[in-house]
Amino acid sequence: MKFSLNDIARCLDLPVSTVDRWIRQGRIPIHRNGNACIFKKSVLEKWAFNHSMPFFLPNEEKEIYKGQNPDLTNLLPAMQLGGVFHDIKGADVESVLKSAVDKVPVLSINKEKLYKRLLEREALTSTGIGKGVAIPHPRAPLPEEIDKPLIITCFLEQSIDFAAVDDKPVCVMFLLLSRSIKNHLHLLSRLAFCVRDDLFVEFLRTYPDTSSFLSRIADCENLLDETD
Amino acid sequence: MRILRRWRQPASWSIFRQDDRLLLILIAVIVGTCSGLAAVVLNRSLIAMFEWLHHFRHYWWSFIIPAIGAALSALFLDKMVKEGAGHGVPEVIYSVSRYGGLMRFRSSFSRLISSCLTIGSGGSAGPEAPVVMSGAAIGSNIAKFFSLNDRQRVTIVGCGAAGAISSIFNAPIAGMVFSMEIILGEWKAANIVSIAIASVAGTEISRILQGNQIAFSHRLFNVGHLDIVACIGLAIISAAASILLTRLLGSMHGVSKKIPFPTWMRAAAGGCAVGIIGLFLPVVLGEGYHPLRTMIEGVYTQGIGIVTVAFLAKILATSLTLGWGGSGGIFAPCLVIGSLAGLTYHRGLLLLWPSVPWVNEGCFALLGMAGLVSGMLQAPLTGIFLIIEITGSYEVILPLIIVSVISTTLCHYIEPASFYLKELVEKGQLLRQGTDRSVLSDLSVQELLEKDCMVVKQNMLLRNFINIIKKSHRNYFPVEDERTGHFLGIIHLDDIRPYLFNPLMYDAVVLGQMMDTNVEVVYLDDDLSEVLQKMDANRVFSMPVIANKKFIGMISKATLLDKYRKELMVQTDL
Amino acid sequence: MHTQLFHIFRNTPLGRETLLQSIYFCKKTGSSLIIYIPEFTKFLMYFENDVVQIDLDNSYLISPETALRHAKELLDQGNIKARFLKPKNYTASTLPDISTNFDFMCCPRSISDLSSKIGLGYIGPRVRRIVNSARFPILITSSVFKKWRSIAVFFGGSANAVNALKLGLRISRASKIPLTVFTHAENTSKESYEEIIKNENLAEEMDRYVTKWHIFESGKFEENLYNIPHDALVILGAYGHSLIKSIIFGGKMETIQSIITNNLLIAGPNYALTR
Repeated sequence: MKFSLNDIARCLDLPVSTVDRWIRQGRIPIHRNGNACIFKKSVLEKWAFNHSMPFFLPNEEKEIYKGQNPDLTNLLPAMQLGGVFHDIKGADVESVLKSAVDKVPVLSINKEKLYKRLLEREALTSTGIGKGVAIPHPRAPLPEEIDKPLIITCFLEQSIDFAAVDDKPVCVMFLLLSRSIKNHLHLLSRLAFCVRDDLFVEFLRTYPDTSSFLSRIADCENLLDETD
Repeated sequence: MRILRRWRQPASWSIFRQDDRLLLILIAVIVGTCSGLAAVVLNRSLIAMFEWLHHFRHYWWSFIIPAIGAALSALFLDKMVKEGAGHGVPEVIYSVSRYGGLMRFRSSFSRLISSCLTIGSGGSAGPEAPVVMSGAAIGSNIAKFFSLNDRQRVTIVGCGAAGAISSIFNAPIAGMVFSMEIILGEWKAANIVSIAIASVAGTEISRILQGNQIAFSHRLFNVGHLDIVACIGLAIISAAASILLTRLLGSMHGVSKKIPFPTWMRAAAGGCAVGIIGLFLPVVLGEGYHPLRTMIEGVYTQGIGIVTVAFLAKILATSLTLGWGGSGGIFAPCLVIGSLAGLTYHRGLLLLWPSVPWVNEGCFALLGMAGLVSGMLQAPLTGIFLIIEITGSYEVILPLIIVSVISTTLCHYIEPASFYLKELVEKGQLLRQGTDRSVLSDLSVQELLEKDCMVVKQNMLLRNFINIIKKSHRNYFPVEDERTGHFLGIIHLDDIRPYLFNPLMYDAVVLGQMMDTNVEVVYLDDDLSEVLQKMDANRVFSMPVIANKKFIGMISKATLLDKYRKELMVQTDL
Repeated sequence: MHTQLFHIFRNTPLGRETLLQSIYFCKKTGSSLIIYIPEFTKFLMYFENDVVQIDLDNSYLISPETALRHAKELLDQGNIKARFLKPKNYTASTLPDISTNFDFMCCPRSISDLSSKIGLGYIGPRVRRIVNSARFPILITSSVFKKWRSIAVFFGGSANAVNALKLGLRISRASKIPLTVFTHAENTSKESYEEIIKNENLAEEMDRYVTKWHIFESGKFEENLYNIPHDALVILGAYGHSLIKSIIFGGKMETIQSIITNNLLIAGPNYALTR
């Protein structure tokens, strides 16, 4: 096969100068003719394997990178997937969580187990982050149970005492289920960004309907993307 | 034209691309033959010159002959071919270790002519080192002609050296071992094959042209148990002689350098001194193979007094010749000094214990040779195989091994580097494959550059900087001037961490006020060993790389380890 | 892209002109200047597959005590900073190695023979060896410092000419000085040259940087050379021919360099764009 030096360096994920030097020193089974590098694919593959170096032809390489960097799911798709529910019943944390878990739209999930996990997490410390908002979530991500991260938005029928950080009663809950810690943090930080805005909290207190709520979330996310 | 070009690049032929061993063997035959021929030519012209000048030896003024020879050889080297003096082996080793054995074309004949002038006129030096240099240079140039790569070229340079030694001593194994032990400094199967072939080719060419004769034949020796014990003493004497010779050569070199004469005058002065010694003790003149033969045969008649004086005189003459600018090697003088040492020791033993039936004195001469060669070169195998082959005396192998090994060990104890490597070790330029130094010298700053650092401007507010921190993967942020793009300093996240969480400061400080301007920087052409020293001295793991006052990347120990390991793997395999 | 120009300083008026030329080149192309003030009359350059010993003529060593001062004066006048190279490695005690990691090297027409030999049409054997082995182009200066205001590339269609063209584009990009291409058509049409450009993916860059492409389909080569502006930097590619071959077969480069007094930038057969 015939490649240019730059291509070879990209295939081996090495600096051009290193490959150039190795060819000159005869340490790599490539023969150079002017700017063209001549090599046998099988030989070079074997060599790279023996020296535990990567070797990908340019078209194979892209697929690998795609697999390595899955995009993080943003709030809006997660909320759309999870759904928005009003008038969640319950007078205390346990009962509210119980009725929230019932709303989870994923069938494959073991709701009893999830409920226990949520309680475990609450026992650790309250997930009420203040301003009347709580973000209950299991302590560990659920890579097995769900395909995509989702947020179940629950507007409560009555405000309850959630032992939140500012001791204010909670009226909105975002039940956060994600597949990976990374995505969990990503969603959590985005939610926190929204909640930091007092106008948004005011808006939540009006118990908006599903479509206006989701469009508000979209606006918030756009704002976040711009400042980044 | 195209066919011609293809012919010059055999490495690109498909039969050789898979495995180049066959190609290397073919080239080794060519190189071995050529360097063997060079050795024969030098040998013949030395004999011719010695015979021609023999008629003038009886005149009182004959002591100036070595002076003329040395001066001519120095002039030739300095003015005609513009090369430095010295025997050239360090140059070969240097180029092998650093530049893949690239050598100049002129080296392939320059030392032959200059050493021929020096030795032929009676200077006390050997023709072997010049022949090694020529052979190596011939190999290098043939490899260059065929556009071989560095690894292949190094092997071919080794082939050249092996062919030359094999041819001049008619000793194929010694040539092989010499080349591996001293020139290449590594034992690899891939090298051994082609070097062996070159040795065979070199030896064969010498046998065709000069006949197959053992250089120093002798009677059979009957080595007794007592002789083996006695040879330990000889080893000590030969080690002492090696050290004396090394030191004397070094000091002569230092003395002659201080004299403000041109090189050829210095060489002439040295040659003159040798000539005067030679008036009284002709044994010191030339490479000394003729007296060597009589010593090995055991028919050297002089008594202990004269032998001892000759032993010391030869050391002095050799250091005068080589230290003052004559051209030649150390090999042949070593053999002569060694055999004189052996004779001295034997005469001393006879004097002390006349009743013990010691083995013939020729045997001790032979052991002394081995002791000196191994001691000077600190290469025991070369000493053992060379003596075995040039004397054809396998029966003395046991004492031979003992003398060689003890002498090498003692010399190494006092002089850590051998005569050939001394110069390089002192300058810190000895790089052997697969060592830390060689890995570091091969890698360059350019290859380790990490370009994923985000450069910030000096007038940026801390508030804007926070957003940049979010996106960056690195802890270091180089700061540059907006207008000129020059590097000003660096911000390390660790240093500013306390301020990051203080919103009051967000609009109060610009980055120019926060950066560390007193940073050590690295330039693209810095040596990595120096860079590492700087890192260790400042206890940092990363340093910015600057070129033309602009920041171009970071260099860090983490990447270095990654690259270092790859380099080491690539260097040490095969 | 950061580039470096290597200059060997000769402490004579001729050397002054050469250094002025180097300074001008560096300022135009934004390269940094590296100056070597020789201590010995010889040094080695290890190239990829060749080692060249460069024996400087004795005028390089004239009064070393003033050399550094002279060089610094010129640099101050030119308002440019340079790095002075100190050889780190020595092959023999009086034989330093000079690294070959440069992007350009500046040479007068001869560095190992007496400067009295320097004239049109003469390029010293060492300079030729450097051109043939180096991976960087060589700036061969005119004997008197001359500013250049345009760049002229000779493009004859061969592989070396393509290299020269790429080099010209690179210089033009760095210095923002427009490029003129000269082609002496020999039995081939304009289309065939355009075909070559297209195959090398240079068409787009050609459009951007090249202001004019002169193709001479008639007239003698020497005559057509008259059209090159006197204040142009002339860029050309060199074949790897030995001296004898070029004398026998002739060569465009020989013709050009024997009748043109401009500064020449020569891309040798090993010139690689990778750096």
